[in-house]
Amino acid sequence: MKIVRKVKVKNSLGLHTRPAASIVKLLQPRKSAVQFTHKHETINARSIMSILMLAARKNTVIEISVEGDDAELTMQHLVDAFESEFGEK
Amino acid sequence: MVSSLLTRDEPVYLVKHFYEQHSKYLGLVLLAGSAGLSRKINKAEVHRPGLSLTGYLKGFVPARILIFGKQEIEFLRELEPEVRMERLSSILTPSTPAVIVARGFPPPKELISACDKANVPLFRATSTATNLLSRITFLLLEEFCPSVTLHGTLVEVFGVGVLIQGESSVGKSEAALGLIERGHRLISDDVVRVKRKEGPYLVGSGPELTRHLMEIRGIGIINVAHLYGAVCVRPDKGIDIVVKLEEWDDQHFYDRVGLDDKFIDILGVSVPFHLLPVKPGRDVVLLLETIGLNHRLKDMGYNSAKEFNTKLLETIAKRQKKRVGIENRA
Repeated sequence: MKIVRKVKVKNSLGLHTRPAASIVKLLQPRKSAVQFTHKHETINARSIMSILMLAARKNTVIEISVEGDDAELTMQHLVDAFESEFGEK
Repeated sequence: MVSSLLTRDEPVYLVKHFYEQHSKYLGLVLLAGSAGLSRKINKAEVHRPGLSLTGYLKGFVPARILIFGKQEIEFLRELEPEVRMERLSSILTPSTPAVIVARGFPPPKELISACDKANVPLFRATSTATNLLSRITFLLLEEFCPSVTLHGTLVEVFGVGVLIQGESSVGKSEAALGLIERGHRLISDDVVRVKRKEGPYLVGSGPELTRHLMEIRGIGIINVAHLYGAVCVRPDKGIDIVVKLEEWDDQHFYDRVGLDDKFIDILGVSVPFHLLPVKPGRDVVLLLETIGLNHRLKDMGYNSAKEFNTKLLETIAKRQKKRVGIENRA
């Protein structure tokens, strides 16, 4: 199953090192393939360096694409993490 | 075989970008039509409109950057002002990206007003038209060459560009670190931007922001250029081989002889491909070094597997002859 959703980066510093680490951490037990698309660039969300390369600032939109058996759950976790500003609120 | 292709970058290239990047190199000065700076450049082509200025517009390609050299300027000077204006307006189409006047010639005032009217940026450059033609074509070809962002690590091993691919946590970064420690070079870890150059051949580089940084599980982010010195990194490198690391699979039959070369397609260029199984006790760094060396040997015209096979076939043929000889005598 494949799900695509758009989310907004809400935390003030953007997608910096700590949020990137928490995304990679929450994806570790998940089986789906996850990709982020930002400004024509699509990357593997399991790689910290790739997420950092995007250098996404606050209020930019990231398209998340999740494909696999646990796609729904994985997407939910990701959306929650973006919503909660990766615990930086 | 499909490489783990992530994106085909399709950025929009505007006259503004071209001006910002190359104004110094080409000595460009904006003279008119600044409202058209956000026009798109869609073609890596430049054109001297000589013939088009005579009114012959059959086969005229509108999406090219126009360069006015000495002849164009002289020719325009000889025309009646109304004709001049009319000819100029007919070549300044809605898709003309920009007009450049060479050798610092002052453009005729009709050209300035036509550019302002049609919102086509008009520049003046210091060098000659021929020089501009070749330099701009080169810059645009560079900009428009097909590119793709791949997941993998690019290293230079004994001068051979090796792109290491494989699933997350299979040990790409660790293998690269091992290679660096032995004096090989890192180009980029995790994300590799690949461009197809004329030839065709592939060149990989790392994104500016994360250049020469690596993420090693259990340690974190390290800067290889600072840790091991400038000798251990390179900004870009041609991709000569792709090696895919994968967890050892008992069911899979891995290449045991190396007689058949395998290839992988990246942007329409086929690159030699090796599938390298990883398991505890296999020294991946040493194996990658061996692949690199073997590639150099093949480049020099020596293929270990094929050479051995030829020798083997000769030996068998000799034995066969001997055998036939013995049977004939009997």
